[in-house]
Amino acid sequence: MPHDHDPLEEGPALRVRALEELMVAKGLVKSETLDSIVEYYERETGPRNGAAVVARAWTDPDYKDWLLRDGSAAINAMGFSGFQGEHIRVVENTETVHNVIVCTLCSCYPWPVLGLPPTWYKSPAYRSRVVREPRAVLAEFGVSLPDEMQIKVWDSTAEIRYLVLPRRPEGTEGLSAAELADLVTRNGMIGTALI
Amino acid sequence: MDGIHDMGGMHGFGPVPCDQDRAFDYDWQKRAFALTEALAWSVPFCADEHRAAIERIAPADYLRLDYFEKWAVAATALVQAAGLVDPQEVASGRKRFDIVQADHPAVDPADVLAATKAGAEMTFPASTAAPRFAVGQPVRVQANSPAGHTRVPRYVRNHLGLVVADSGVFQFADTMATGQGPSPQHCYTVEFRASDLWGNVADANGSVCLDLWEDYLEPA
Repeated sequence: MPHDHDPLEEGPALRVRALEELMVAKGLVKSETLDSIVEYYERETGPRNGAAVVARAWTDPDYKDWLLRDGSAAINAMGFSGFQGEHIRVVENTETVHNVIVCTLCSCYPWPVLGLPPTWYKSPAYRSRVVREPRAVLAEFGVSLPDEMQIKVWDSTAEIRYLVLPRRPEGTEGLSAAELADLVTRNGMIGTALI
Repeated sequence: MDGIHDMGGMHGFGPVPCDQDRAFDYDWQKRAFALTEALAWSVPFCADEHRAAIERIAPADYLRLDYFEKWAVAATALVQAAGLVDPQEVASGRKRFDIVQADHPAVDPADVLAATKAGAEMTFPASTAAPRFAVGQPVRVQANSPAGHTRVPRYVRNHLGLVVADSGVFQFADTMATGQGPSPQHCYTVEFRASDLWGNVADANGSVCLDLWEDYLEPA
């Protein structure tokens, strides 16, 4: 619901406010704890974390090997950890394989490195279609891949969360890791964009 | 559960809303998210129980409600199932009875942040359970269609795949969701050829990989 004056907003907004007040009255939650949780996810998680991981892998072959072998440990070593990121597998895009991530059953997503998922990732259209017709879905994101490119879709059905290691763009040999990180997009790390 | 949440492969949902690009559009969505996270501590409930509660939302409501409204509806159902609120309180928003506070302490900001950063413990690294399947082995997903929570999407049920990784011993979502404990077991990554899943409309050389617990699989 992206519109600023969506009439549906009133119902859930009231419902959630009433629920919070009741839960506070019951002593089950504290409002300041909710503030801290929101602030944490907005400030300390997000795609810039994932971008730093990708840029380091692009510039440090040993780190890249570690990241592909044991994603969780290599990511934890950069200070990114926590709920929905306990077990992360990093899958590498190559000249022959393109990876795309989904959770068809709910909305599983690697929170510490990408933040909370965007609305489209949670949408019935994405969840239903990307496992069946990934090329058509990628086309809607403006991504067109050669026919011979193998597309691997990773459906996050258990406790492992996935992060795509995109291909490093050509002509970036002279860039630092920090400059490279600026090129890396969230969708690139889901697999719905190329970098 | 063969519910509306099990969307993989369904037709009819139209184009992907690629421009709906944010995690939150409204403040109430942030409150609903954080409320669920905080209630998970005090009630308590785990992620699998919360997912199962979302899956029990009637299909028409599941499609109509906002994602975070579903989180709030499911969290409310779990608080109610724990006997900590009654339906009149939920309807009116007014407290009618006290709970045993010591059994359900509200979490403080510092504790919730520390735990959030630490993550949940879902594996059993010391387990000596021998894996039933090996990397490279063909397996079939069982045809079972349980009424309760499961992490087998319908689109791989009864299909053949190849084990591509053994990720170790994990707690089992199906039993975690019903409070029956972790039932530790190996969890495998299984690759399915797109043509085996979708037949003649499949992407020629595509594949789909899923993480599947041992109890879901049988030798092919």
